[in-house]
Formats: sequence, structure tokens, C-alpha cells
Amino acid sequence: MSPETIEYEDFFPECESVMDEIYARCKENAPNFGITAEHLKDSLSRTVRRFVQTSAEEKPAIREIKDFLKQIQAEDLFLALACANGNERAWWEFDQQHRAYLERVARHLARTEIDAQEVVDSVYVELYGTRVVDGARVSKFATYSGRGSLRGWLRTVIWHSLVDLHRASHDEVSLDEMTETVGEGYAHSTFAEMKLGGEGEMIDQIARDRYRQATLSAIENAFSNLDDHEKLLLLYYHVENLKLREIARLVENAESPLRGWFQRKSTNRETNPASRIHESTIMRWLEKSYAKVLKTFRAELQTIHQLGEEELEICMELATQDLASPNLYRNLTTT
Amino acid sequence: MQIIQISYVFVTGGLKHRMENKELINPQDIQIQGLVDRYLRSQTSNNNKILPGEHLDEDSLTAFTEGNLSAREAQPMISHLVDCSFCRHVTTELIRLDLAFADEAVQVAAVEKQPSKVSEVLNNLLSRIFGTNDGAVFAHQEKEEDSEKTEISEDSKK
Repeated sequence: MSPETIEYEDFFPECESVMDEIYARCKENAPNFGITAEHLKDSLSRTVRRFVQTSAEEKPAIREIKDFLKQIQAEDLFLALACANGNERAWWEFDQQHRAYLERVARHLARTEIDAQEVVDSVYVELYGTRVVDGARVSKFATYSGRGSLRGWLRTVIWHSLVDLHRASHDEVSLDEMTETVGEGYAHSTFAEMKLGGEGEMIDQIARDRYRQATLSAIENAFSNLDDHEKLLLLYYHVENLKLREIARLVENAESPLRGWFQRKSTNRETNPASRIHESTIMRWLEKSYAKVLKTFRAELQTIHQLGEEELEICMELATQDLASPNLYRNLTTT
Repeated sequence: MQIIQISYVFVTGGLKHRMENKELINPQDIQIQGLVDRYLRSQTSNNNKILPGEHLDEDSLTAFTEGNLSAREAQPMISHLVDCSFCRHVTTELIRLDLAFADEAVQVAAVEKQPSKVSEVLNNLLSRIFGTNDGAVFAHQEKEEDSEKTEISEDSKK
């Protein structure tokens, strides 16, 4: 632990001046929101605690906490806190600034105008809060911490509300179930049920099965050996079908850690850290991940499964042949 | 080495992009990309190690999709997204949504700078939602904001 590192209980006095600056700026912009310095500091402190507790490893230094505080979307948070308190002027501001946007997002996502309006209304109700706990109304705004923009957060809330609406109209299909049917379930069910094909003419069926099992095991291990950010990139691209430009959008922020991990050894990052990420850059990141998978894949076949170069070619050929079939994994079952 | 049919490349748009640009392609690249594609698609919800109550909250999802997280915060979140198909799918939808509205600047409706009667505006808004006209939803906090309301009321008289 570095000398500058602190326990989270100790951060408050060290960071109070930063919080005071944030409050002064917010108060100047919105003097009628009825938020006290203590109220804002309480919210910021909760967010900092969460930040500090995020990692079980080394706790952040004071400097890192101060930087973290400066990155919080303070004006958005100030507005959200005031709305959570039911401040009328804040609500008026919120309605003026965000309602039209909420409606556009809802229309974009919903099937009908009625659904869109219903979602916007339900989000307003949720934001205001109808549940009372210990005599206090619980507003959805209280869960906004300012880590992202208020607009981004509202988009997320709208999306969730729309899923809930959809769920309600489909006999309460669970959110997990509904989401997962969109993604990954289909392929595996086919994989699990399909039996081995009898098409082996060139290679004996037993040897063929052995190579297929080795191939499956090798690809599993090759994928699991990737770093998490590489795995996520491949999952976004292959499973979620995100386009290159959509992934580029995700890492558009120059401070994005995901971008930072991919560009660790990039000289361009050092010379021009804020440069735009193009689709070709994402493609290069993908290619590097494939190359890493291929390297581990081959190494596993050679070292763990003791396959020679020729047998390795057979494994790759089998995989290639299987690619022509509707589902590669129907022939890769390990049973 | 067997000739690889062009139709295989449907699994990898990037590879397709390279083929269109007539770059030299190593057949092993096609094989490994296709293998990765099919392998990842075969992963099931059964492999989802995350319990429903452990999903990322809206605050975290938003910060992630906007790239506003520090490395300290992002690392566990990325690990979660690798394991949790549900949250990953939510972030996918949010990324698309973010891009769809990317060019939209913050627009504030062209109205008067401050409402003549804030309460009236808000009551209209909430009565539309709650289906009531009495503004009762704000009644519980009138005490807290007495002083402010007095100010507003005096302002409106001026």
C-alpha cells in the first residue's frame, strides 16, 4: 500500500475541498434547487465509497479519488438530487430539458405511439417515486450517481421500462429468459442434441472424434486464455453482432479503459491519445485477438493433445468442413 | 489444404471486408475466425454464472456504455459482461441506442426562462401521469419548501 493510499473512511476530509468546489459551481448554476452542501456531499461520498470498494486490490490514492470526483457529472447530479427531493423548479427544468428526448428515445424503441407514451409516463412516475419507505418517498433519481450523463442514464431507464412493458404483455416472461432467447441459447441446444454424423470416409470415425474433441477443448482453452477485454470484444462482435462502428462508438471516449487496454502498446496512443477510433482499428484489435486464439489453439493441440503438425492440419480441416454445415458444434460434441 | 468456400465468411464481417479489399488471406485466419464464431455462439445461458440479483445497475451500465469508468471500475465490470449474457445484451442495446441518438444535441424547448407558476406547470405534468388534478403528489413536501414557495409566489406577483 502506498503512503498516499487511504481507507475509504478517511477520504472525506481530504476531498472536502473538491466537493466544496463542485457544490459552489452547481449552486451558482441552479440556486433554486434547494440542495444543501451536505446533501450533495452525502451523495458524492456514497459514490466515492462505492468506487473505493470496487476493487479488492490496492485502494486508490487521494489523487485518484480527487480525479474521480472531478469526473462526476455534477450538474446532472445536482438536478437529479433536487428532483428526488421533489423540488418543483428542478422538475420544471428536467421536464424542459429531457422530456422531448425521452419521448424520442421511447418512440425509437417502442412498437406503437401508445407504448411509447406509456413508457414515458411510467418512467416519470418511477422518477418521481410512489413508494414510501420510513416516511420518505423513494425516487428513482436517488439511484443516479453522476458517473454517466443523465441523458445516458435516462436512456437506460427507458430501455428497462420498455422491456418490462414487453414482459407484462407476454405473460410475465422473465427478463433473463427474454433477453437470452435473443442471444445464445439456440446454438447450444442444437449442439447438445445432435448426434455424430456418419460422413467419415477419409478418416476412421474414432480418430475423427478424437480430433474433434481435441479441437473443441483447444478452442475453449484458447478463448479462456484471452484477457477479459479481448473476450468481450469477440463476444460483442460474434454473439451480440455489434458492428465495427458500434464498437468504435463504445471506445470513442479517449479515457475509456477498454480502449486503453487495447492500445497499451500503441505508439499512436502516446502521440495522439484523443485520436478517433476508426472501424479499421477495431478490425485490427479483432485480428490480434484471433491471432492470440490461434496461437494458443495450436499450442494446446501440440502440447496437451500431443498432435503433430499433420494431425493439427486434420483438426483444422475438420473444423473447416464443419463450417459448411449449419452448426459446427453438432460434430464437436464431446460425448 | 482444402479450398474454403466464400460462403463461410458470412460469420466474420471483418474478413469479408478484407476480402472485398482483395487482401491476401491466410486460410487459417478463416478457419480460426469461423471456429471462434461458432464456439461463442454455442455458449448458452446455462453458462451464465451470474445470479439475477447480481446484474449491473442502470448507473453502472450507463457509465460503461459512455466510457466514463476508470480502469479500476471497468475491470470487474468487463469480467461481469464476459460472464453475464443478460447484462452484455443490455449494454449492446444501449450502445446501439447511444449511436442512434449520437448526433442529437441537447435541445431545450424554446419557452420562457422560468415558469410564471412552477407549481402549475408541474401539477399539469403530474396530473397527466397520475390522472389527478389536485397536485396532491407534492403535498407531502410543502412544509419543507415553504420558504422557497413563498419566494416563488412573491416572484410571480412581481
